[in-house]
Amino acid sequence: MIVCVRISGGVPNDAVWQEILDALDAVTPLIEDVRCGVAFLDMQGAGGDFAAWSRSVRTALIPFAFSPCVGAGPNRFCAFAAAWNGDGTLIAPETQADALAPMPLVVLECDADTIERLHLLGVTTLGALAALPHGPFVRRFGPDAARWHDAARGIDRSPFIPRGHAITIEAAMLGEGSAQSEAAVIFALRVLIGRICSDLERCGKRASALQVEIELESADTARIDVQLAAATSQERAMLDVLRAKLEGASFPAPICGLRLRALGLEEGGEPVPLLAGDEIDRANVAVVLARLEAMLGEPVRRAHTRAAHPLEERFTYVPFTLPKRDPAGRSEGEPTRLVPQLRLLAVTEIDVRLRRGEPAIVGERAVQHCSGPWRIEEGWFTAPVARDEYDVQLDTGEICRIYRQGERWYLRGSYD
Amino acid sequence: MLPARTDFQELKARFHAAPAAPRTGREPLFPTAIASLDALLGGGLPCGSLVTLEGYGTAGVRSIAAALLAQATRTGLGAIIDGGELYPPSLEAAGVRLERLLIVPAGTPVRAARAADLLLRSRVARVVVMGAVTLHAAVWGRLASLAHKAGAVLVVLAVRAIVEISAAATVCLSCRVARPVHTGTRGIWGVFTGFELQAELRKHKFRNSLTPFVVNGLVGMVQ
Repeated sequence: MIVCVRISGGVPNDAVWQEILDALDAVTPLIEDVRCGVAFLDMQGAGGDFAAWSRSVRTALIPFAFSPCVGAGPNRFCAFAAAWNGDGTLIAPETQADALAPMPLVVLECDADTIERLHLLGVTTLGALAALPHGPFVRRFGPDAARWHDAARGIDRSPFIPRGHAITIEAAMLGEGSAQSEAAVIFALRVLIGRICSDLERCGKRASALQVEIELESADTARIDVQLAAATSQERAMLDVLRAKLEGASFPAPICGLRLRALGLEEGGEPVPLLAGDEIDRANVAVVLARLEAMLGEPVRRAHTRAAHPLEERFTYVPFTLPKRDPAGRSEGEPTRLVPQLRLLAVTEIDVRLRRGEPAIVGERAVQHCSGPWRIEEGWFTAPVARDEYDVQLDTGEICRIYRQGERWYLRGSYD
Repeated sequence: MLPARTDFQELKARFHAAPAAPRTGREPLFPTAIASLDALLGGGLPCGSLVTLEGYGTAGVRSIAAALLAQATRTGLGAIIDGGELYPPSLEAAGVRLERLLIVPAGTPVRAARAADLLLRSRVARVVVMGAVTLHAAVWGRLASLAHKAGAVLVVLAVRAIVEISAAATVCLSCRVARPVHTGTRGIWGVFTGFELQAELRKHKFRNSLTPFVVNGLVGMVQ
């Protein structure tokens, strides 16, 4: 028997709905989350009758102050129709066709156009729909019509899909003395990581991030998020990254508690390349990234290029993350192209003298060759940039990128 | 006993007269994939070495460094310690796979040295590029030693490498632009497409004959 719980007034948001579903776990562990406000409970094998189940649902939902409509039936559709019909409706097995017959077509939750077309044909109830011949009805209304016709007769072959439960893997060491040395903290972390990895292996999961909460004697709590380069369940990899992350960290008071949580859980084992000659050691890279971040106070970056007119907007930096493995990316043996590199300099105003409209002297140096201008003009809807850019070769041999904005000239970079 | 100067001159003459130490063939090489440079270096830069690329102004040292990074990021990771002068679109045009390039922002010499130390110790990057910051000779010696242990190539870009760096370096390459290449006429129709590069091998621990070479055909200007 399937029980449908429908919150008639609606649920304000998904977070509340998830809390309601968690509360319904007290009734049965098999709950299907259909959508926000509608859930099915599989009561097969559960003791009691519909009245007892209904009472259990209401008891579970007391803290939420919502009024649920509870209905039951031999399958998902019948249970939904029972809850739609009214609170406490039970559609018994073998009687579902008769019970559904007087219900309107909206119970099917098909689109409004279809309902209107059926109304024009004089079909207004599930009973009238069930009476239509199956083949012609499906041919006329499409493949979904087969499901509607079955549902109108009380047949629902769709499987019950129980919701997954979020697994929280964490370990804590609280109120067991205080640590004033780095070694003591690392030792405690090693113990916690051991517990977490043991739990991860038991669940067949890997963690792609860790969260450490450090409780201090001064009642403050420091939270450190650690992103692992690749999801792992190996103690060594986690400890190395955590240790690197904590390098150089100092706290204003002794540490009296640690809580470690594994986040971003992923299924499966760790992929290991068979031919590891040039493969990147991801765990090692994660440790280096954490160490560099701890040392520099900012993350190691990688660059992204993008289409833009001003030079400074043609790239952005994001924290470095390892690329996915791409065997197709190997291209050893291709000749390397030598491309002059633009070296960005701090933008400085320069003195430029023109001859026939183009730069002739930059600073104190004569221009031997000049290319440009390349005009950059952006619309009013962005920060307005209107500039003319030139590449100039000076008599020293240096090739520079300069630009004119308004009446002023600036040095942007040099080629190398 | 001969005066010290005479003694030194004699010793120097003996060194020059001695045949080049035969290569053992054991030193792994990092090919630069620049044909003329590889030919000069006998197949590539020695893995596990500190290499200085020197040149004033527009000299092409960053072009060669970008080529080395492009080669490194084909199969592994490369790293560059950036003082804020990096222009990634140029690197991408040179074939560097930006998703495999660690850009380490380091504003001070000490930070740059520590970052290079960490990168070399960890052996994550095959090529590490950094500027010639002012550091003690011992620090450069340590970085060279770390590069040797890691089998990585530490490339130091300098206007003129100071003696502390040159002493620790395995290869010193001095570059200058022989001829800028322009296509079209002046003004809006003229485009600077690159330059011909002339480089001189000033020091190579495993080679005796140091000859200048010219790298031709630099193309692919980034507008």
